[in-house]
Amino acid sequence: MKFIKELTKGLIKENPIFVIVLGMCPTLAVTTSVINALGMGFAATFVLICSNAIISLIKDITPSKIRIPVYVVVIAAFVSVVDMVMAAYVPALHKSLGLFIPLIVVNCIILGRAEAFASKNNVIMSIADGLGMGLGFTLSLSLVATIREIIGAGTWLGMRVTPLTYDPALIAILAPGAFITLGLLMALMNMLKEKK
Amino acid sequence: MKYYLKLGFILFVFCVVATGILAYVNSLTAPVIAQRKATEEIQAREALIPNAKFEEKESDQGLTYFVARDPETTEILGYTFIAADLGYSSTVQTMVGVDKAFKVLGIRIVDQGETPGLGANCTLPAFTEQFSGLAVEDIYVNKDGGVVVALSGATITSRCIANSLREGIIDVQDEPTEGGEQ
Repeated sequence: MKFIKELTKGLIKENPIFVIVLGMCPTLAVTTSVINALGMGFAATFVLICSNAIISLIKDITPSKIRIPVYVVVIAAFVSVVDMVMAAYVPALHKSLGLFIPLIVVNCIILGRAEAFASKNNVIMSIADGLGMGLGFTLSLSLVATIREIIGAGTWLGMRVTPLTYDPALIAILAPGAFITLGLLMALMNMLKEKK
Repeated sequence: MKYYLKLGFILFVFCVVATGILAYVNSLTAPVIAQRKATEEIQAREALIPNAKFEEKESDQGLTYFVARDPETTEILGYTFIAADLGYSSTVQTMVGVDKAFKVLGIRIVDQGETPGLGANCTLPAFTEQFSGLAVEDIYVNKDGGVVVALSGATITSRCIANSLREGIIDVQDEPTEGGEQ
């Protein structure tokens, strides 16, 4: 029961992007197209699950005074290992996701979940939390990217969805479009929450 | 005092373990990655100039280029090299193949990090294909009086690609061993 709760809270109730507002850098940077958003989302989900599991395992041998540097070392080392292994053995996947791997190190969702959840809960729950948060992150990124890609490029997942007469508004896939879309979506989320 | 030394020591142990793991994984994967990159480059070269034997050389300007020869007659078929120049927000690397008269056979953008939707469109065939068949004096964007139609909203990216190609070709052309007959 608790497992399901930890798993689903990341989707809406504690959505990392719209509610906790973590990981804004990748959110703004990679949501120019849906395929990028999915790539970033899945790569981050994978790292999040594994780093949550490792940190939950070492939480008893980590003195609380130096826990943050220890987590940073663990996450950075883990991400680098994933990057190297992917580059060597699954080059096709690395070609599409490789760009996002180094970005994950600085994604504060990972460190945020390590500190807020994995350092206080057991391995199973931490994995559920990582998976849920990762999926919530992926969904939110895809939502922002869907809006930006359709308005800014007239395509979705690279396929043309708007009539040929539509002249894409480039601003949507440039940096200002990221802020505008994210702001409007957050406002919408808050409006829906207040109504409840 | 002792307590803080202990903290430092624990952190040190974590770092040593992490570094050890990284070093080990790197020693396993680095050769595989290097080999894969080399194969990819060879494939890209062969796509530009098929059925040729490549020989690596370096120009006086420090540009690494490859001479493509017919494996039987050893006649020079052309040259390939990677042209690189700073674009709008990244270094754009372009694999170029030219024939023995230094006309462009084809180009392929190997690496770039330009603005998505604008400069990043330089990887699309619609842009790269227009370089095929161009002689060195034509490789300027239309704003600079050449025949290359610049990407809309990304003149800087287009210009950087055109200029890096032109400079690279001239560089190879000026090599004493390449310009004339052999």
